[in-house]
Amino acid sequence: MSGDTSTDASGPAVICQRLAKTYRAALSRGGVTALRGLDLAVPSGQTFGLLGPNGAGKTTLVKLLLGIAFATSGTASVLGRPAGDVRSRERIGYLPESHRYPPHLTGEQVLHHFGRLSGLRRPGRTRRVDQLLRRVNLGEWRSVRVHKYSKRMLQRLGMAQAILNEPDLLILDEPTDGVDPIGRREIRDLLLEQKARGATIFLNSHLLSEVERICDRVAILKEGALLREGGVADLTRPRSAWQVETRAGRPDAVAGAVARVPGARAVDGRVEIEGDVPAVNSLIDALRGQEVEITAVLPRRDSLEDVFVKVLGEGETP
Amino acid sequence: MRVAAILIDTGRELLFRKTIIVYFGVVTLLLLSFALALHTDVADGLIASISVAGLRASSPGMNGLTAEDFVRYVQLGTVFMLYPLAILMSVFATASLVPRMIEKGTIDLLLSKPITRPALLAARYLGGLLTVTANLLYLTGGLGAILGLKTGVWNGGIVLSGLLMSLYFACLFAFVVLAGVLLRSTTVSVMITAALFFASLMVRLPHAYRDWPLLITGHLWRFLAVTVVETLYHALPRTYDFVQASTALIRHEGGLDWGAVGGSALSGAAALLLAVVYFSRQDY
Repeated sequence: MSGDTSTDASGPAVICQRLAKTYRAALSRGGVTALRGLDLAVPSGQTFGLLGPNGAGKTTLVKLLLGIAFATSGTASVLGRPAGDVRSRERIGYLPESHRYPPHLTGEQVLHHFGRLSGLRRPGRTRRVDQLLRRVNLGEWRSVRVHKYSKRMLQRLGMAQAILNEPDLLILDEPTDGVDPIGRREIRDLLLEQKARGATIFLNSHLLSEVERICDRVAILKEGALLREGGVADLTRPRSAWQVETRAGRPDAVAGAVARVPGARAVDGRVEIEGDVPAVNSLIDALRGQEVEITAVLPRRDSLEDVFVKVLGEGETP
Repeated sequence: MRVAAILIDTGRELLFRKTIIVYFGVVTLLLLSFALALHTDVADGLIASISVAGLRASSPGMNGLTAEDFVRYVQLGTVFMLYPLAILMSVFATASLVPRMIEKGTIDLLLSKPITRPALLAARYLGGLLTVTANLLYLTGGLGAILGLKTGVWNGGIVLSGLLMSLYFACLFAFVVLAGVLLRSTTVSVMITAALFFASLMVRLPHAYRDWPLLITGHLWRFLAVTVVETLYHALPRTYDFVQASTALIRHEGGLDWGAVGGSALSGAAALLLAVVYFSRQDY
């Protein structure tokens, strides 16, 4: 639903300024601080991953953006309107972490129910529901009540519900949590379709491999504070290290070559070296001198998981 | 359309939970047994004979009972015996509506949709109220129709009293909703509402007999007791007054006690407003 023209399409879809949230506890004075003065901008049209260990404040941030919870201080805007604004919610799709659909409804009725709540009218709604039920492979289950659905089917129905209104901003809280690999792939394909359509995707997940595959940018939260934010390509850039794949020849040939080159080491049948291009060339020369057959030379990159563990482990402060 | 979506879903949920089906079934059974078991012979406006499930009574034992009085007595019996039961069943049937709506996973989805929190809660309230009103009208309209067909006397007072009891339920249901929003528990909501129901009945007696505080000797205790009784009487829906007003409608006697009706409506409206304000400010 892109009917609203009041928002600059090129501006950030989400902006948080010094956003803070403290949950009041009944028997405690201070309460629990979930977010501490968060500054964040999510560019429109990008897929943004929010990472962090349990209790980092990821779900709280999503709830503040949707108006499900209220900020203690600071501001947030979504699609050019204050967070939680009813009109901006017309253009948002949301899949919560533990979504529960009315058990008395069939899959088709669930989509019609949330379609009505999103302001979709017949006959367009009927067409959209039919289309989505087929797309998420629930066509044959459309008339079955959702309390009989498996976890994977519920997740597919949840995705259909979230994209029902063709949202400009799609917010997903742990969409692949507890889903098997096939289910994860189905969800990933749906997300890539939404990305191709131009939707901004805000993905809250701790499945780092999924985030790395889909997201353009990520932010890492810890204890309510932003530790790192940036493009996935920048965060996982090559780190001046190389991996040389070899084909087994004489058993002592690789060891002999590695011993001659400073910084080189043999790991699980391949050779790794820290250093720049001359260093890897000298390793190749040494290996070839021992008549070791080289099958590949690859620059080493930090995976998102490496970055995540490193950032959290170092306890970086924003 | 968004409010309609919540209304439709509330109706479907009540049907799925079966409590309202049981309620509807009990009323249907009652009406059917009434229709099948009751036989009357009316001559010149007087009841010549009555047969209930084969037990027959006839003149002169009827002492010149008019058909109009007979219908009125049956309807008054219904008010005293069935209305409290119907109201309590209605509370049981609808008490889960709000706690279920604010369960984790359900409320997140609802609040992410373009509907305001007051509209969401009000639609839920209205959905429960409409379902119960339909059942109360089914009970009173059915009873009125059966008696009309059996005796030829059509007393619309019973249907009006049914509407009045719907208004009473609307007041009580507002407290159910308030308890549901505050405590998020169906069981505790039912317990509190039942307690309020009986408390409203109990405080009516000391409120009506103004000399009772003289039984308490201490000034402070007397003041406290009077304050508690009067506060509860004015803050809660006035159960006794509603039943009395219902009987007045059936007997076609005098006007309604608008003070009691209006006071109850105000207390219900205040409870609903409190629920809406709390719901609108709460983190979920």
